[in-house]
Amino acid sequence: MQDNRESVTGIAEGESVVIMARSYHLGNETEAKYISCVENALARGSKGLRVIPHREFVDSLFPWFEPRTAPAETKGLPKLMERPGVAKRLADQQVRYIIWLEGDTERVAGGGSLSCAAGPGGGGCFGFAWWQNDADYNASVWDLKGLESAGTVSADVSGTSFLPALVVPIPLIARTQAAACKGLADQLRMFISDDPSA
Amino acid sequence: MRATIRTTLSVVAVSALLSACGGGSMTLQSPSFPTPLVEKLPVKVGLRLSPEMEQFSHEEKVFGRETWSVDFGDANARLFRQLFDHMFTDVTILTADDNPDLLPIDALVETSIDAFEFSVPEQTSSNSFAVWIRYRLKVYDKRGDMVANWPVSAYGKSETKALGGSDALERAALLAMRDAAALMIMKLDAETGIGSLGAMAAPATAETPQDSEEDVKVSVSSDNTSSFAAGGIDQDAI
Repeated sequence: MQDNRESVTGIAEGESVVIMARSYHLGNETEAKYISCVENALARGSKGLRVIPHREFVDSLFPWFEPRTAPAETKGLPKLMERPGVAKRLADQQVRYIIWLEGDTERVAGGGSLSCAAGPGGGGCFGFAWWQNDADYNASVWDLKGLESAGTVSADVSGTSFLPALVVPIPLIARTQAAACKGLADQLRMFISDDPSA
Repeated sequence: MRATIRTTLSVVAVSALLSACGGGSMTLQSPSFPTPLVEKLPVKVGLRLSPEMEQFSHEEKVFGRETWSVDFGDANARLFRQLFDHMFTDVTILTADDNPDLLPIDALVETSIDAFEFSVPEQTSSNSFAVWIRYRLKVYDKRGDMVANWPVSAYGKSETKALGGSDALERAALLAMRDAAALMIMKLDAETGIGSLGAMAAPATAETPQDSEEDVKVSVSSDNTSSFAAGGIDQDAI
């Protein structure tokens, strides 16, 4: 986990954050379940942040956060705020930060051999397989108070899963994406609260 | 007990196999679209929807084996009715038999579907469904002269969940329709000059019909099927 701070952060009571995926029009492949995972992880616990579900947010500001129209850089924020109703809608929801996620989890290596057979008397598997997943995500934090970038937080997690089988396969799965989700959410919470204990 | 487990596992395996190999179908069930944050243009618009907007379906064999069918029903018509209602101060829906010359409108907009395509995960080696739709908007002034001929190309993409292909395809179709709505809200006036056709607006300058293809290039093959070559974002318009 790494972060790169560009401005002073902090969040007042009642203020909220939104987790968004960078547009697939730009080739981004961030998984929907990863976004939901970060949303849930950020909101969890006694020091959890107030998170507005991204679909609810996008619908409330339609069409200005659709994949085609969402601002790609903070310099697009002043013009966005001039759109009819946008500034008021953001103020009503007390949105302080928009967090843009990009990246994905990919299988980068794998090997082994596993075969299964079944017959009238039963079935079974024999062999050994393995694969390595790499979860690489980057979060850009935009502060709507100053219409500026607050900085970035990134997570890069690798994990190798194994599947030995002697009649019955025993999967030993590395939860790479889940680890990247928890790690990024914890780091984001500290980054936004500007509190190492958060 | 053991026989029950074996039977259950067999059923699950066969179901999974059929789901993986058998294509699927998708029906858009009366989708709703959010109310857009947009100021209405002071134009009295007549909207005429082509028959396929009221009932659109498409069936295709992917790789020559899996058959996928999509049924939009009247979703496209609903989109345009709702969208125009939010974009203009006055909207009149015209049927094919209505004579626009007899109606108190400033502009007539005729809409149709030019092309529709989709891709399934097996085609793109991904876990996503994608949908492309190209609508066509023809705008006529009070005199009945066509002032714009604008293709609206839209794209939507959605990840598939476990054994939930039709849901992902439905979501991709909905996202493509929202994409079209976003593009029209952003650029309809700039592309067609429809805002200048209102009675309260300055007299419209005579324009030749334009056919701007800047968003998506479409090629038409010999078998009369269209394919989309590129999609994109128009950040200048943001």
